[in-house]
Amino acid sequence: MRSSTVSAYSYIAPAFALLGLVLFAPVFYGGWYSLQDIRYGAPMGFAGFKNFARLLEEPDMGATLLRTFIHTGFSVVITIVIALGLAVWIDRLAPRFAFLVQIIVIVPWIISTVVAALLFRWVFLNDIGLAAWAARSLGFGSFQPLTSPAGAMSLLIAISVWKRIGYAVIILLAGLKGIPDDYTEAARIDGANGWQVFRRITLPLLKTPLLLVAIVLTLSNINTVETPLVTTGGGPGDATRILAIDVYERAFVNFDLGGATAMALLMFAGNIILVVAYVRFTKWKA
Amino acid sequence: MSNASSSALLRPKLGLGASLALILPIGALIIVNLLPLFWGMLTSIKPESVIFAMPPRFAGFEPTNAHYERVFVSGFAQSFMISLFYSGVAVVMALACALPAAYAFDRFDFPFRQSLFLLVVASIPLSLGAAALLIPNYVYFVHLGLVNTPYALPLIYAAHQLPMAIWVVKGTIEGIPRELDEASIIDGATRFGVLRHVMLPLSRPALGAAGTLAFVGSWNEFVAGSVMIDAPWLRPIQPLIYSFIGFFGREWGPLTAAATLAIVPILIVFALLGRLIVSGLTKGSVKG
Repeated sequence: MRSSTVSAYSYIAPAFALLGLVLFAPVFYGGWYSLQDIRYGAPMGFAGFKNFARLLEEPDMGATLLRTFIHTGFSVVITIVIALGLAVWIDRLAPRFAFLVQIIVIVPWIISTVVAALLFRWVFLNDIGLAAWAARSLGFGSFQPLTSPAGAMSLLIAISVWKRIGYAVIILLAGLKGIPDDYTEAARIDGANGWQVFRRITLPLLKTPLLLVAIVLTLSNINTVETPLVTTGGGPGDATRILAIDVYERAFVNFDLGGATAMALLMFAGNIILVVAYVRFTKWKA
Repeated sequence: MSNASSSALLRPKLGLGASLALILPIGALIIVNLLPLFWGMLTSIKPESVIFAMPPRFAGFEPTNAHYERVFVSGFAQSFMISLFYSGVAVVMALACALPAAYAFDRFDFPFRQSLFLLVVASIPLSLGAAALLIPNYVYFVHLGLVNTPYALPLIYAAHQLPMAIWVVKGTIEGIPRELDEASIIDGATRFGVLRHVMLPLSRPALGAAGTLAFVGSWNEFVAGSVMIDAPWLRPIQPLIYSFIGFFGREWGPLTAAATLAIVPILIVFALLGRLIVSGLTKGSVKG
């Protein structure tokens, strides 16, 4: 091997040692571990796909998947629609307003999810929360989102949207800035109205950032443990028990590490599909 | 729609309608985005008797620091300091690994360069997969004996932030003219010398952006912190706040005080380096 090759590898070695230890090796170790018979966290010999088979037999699994799909689907779509509107609006503002609005928009994204969920729980507390008072004062009557399954899920989606919309706005705004003004102005001169310009010029040119945002939002919503854990604890009943909190509690509340690892690896396989899509849409070059 | 766009094109003086069209959405944004934070902060300084008052009280009470005192006697300071330590070490480690890696990926040619960089790009969204990745990560760290040690979280946080940092720094190094490298090498600099004296100073804005994002990400992390650590003296701040929910129950004074304190470092970083956060995000960081 050429000495310059060795030297090049020595520059990337620390990075890959770290990634290997935390991201790559655990996947392989977890793969082996999931095929073991796990007693009290300790591997007790080869068990084949017993841990996986056990998951498929669980009657609640389908409902958990459906709830995960509902939470992620609604969160991603609502986030993108609102973020797109905000980004288009910010793009037209005078620079000083645009910066101010960006700062306001990004604040929820830099707050930790635990704190955000805690504050939402406080604002939406049954009967005595600020939201319940506001709803009563405005004549909406009793407002107790955390007591009904649909209300709790809606609140969960609202927090997910609130928390991540800033990220989406910034990425989409960067995409909008990359569209040359000539394109939209030329269309206007040809007589296109605002909606036609948006629909025919802006939206197609935003395809890549939109897809990237959609993938990243999907990944982070599927994997969010904190929001349901802090806001609803998965309740009422199982109404907000999504995959991420199910796998977390399976491991650290019920101490079924074999089943949890098997389930996490299945989730990981799902994540990989999104990661592959992400890599395709990122215009990366080495 | 067409009216709004043509007025944006001509940029006339703001009339009443246009001012309202500006102020109303900004006001709505401030209420939606900042009200929960403001309400939490306000609750944290209210005396016990006022916290549950109906209608809610926005003013007209004697501010108290009693809730903050209770938070501090419940182990808050220790978690605050250890989280600063974890996040600080993670930022330094991530940047120290990212700069040489970004430099090598952009400037050197070596076997498997494409595939290895592909792995880095794929790891950016992978680090988001907290729930999916953390369980295998946990059983592996148990196997290595790293669980419940001071090393676990700095390593994990640095690794989670590293792919994003490599990506952001490499983007900047791409823009540094190769003539600068060549000139230094002709002057007798080694490749490490180029890294030290050319790349390091010129990629400072990128390192700042990546470092800021890495700090925010590490400080706010919850799942790894709650899974990898049992010992109270090693417990980072987000799991501590979560444990407060069980500990303080319906006492929203101490809960909101802890939440307020946990936001403070983030708000300080944001006030000082907000522009870097926006630019780092724009450069392609992907944390959702």
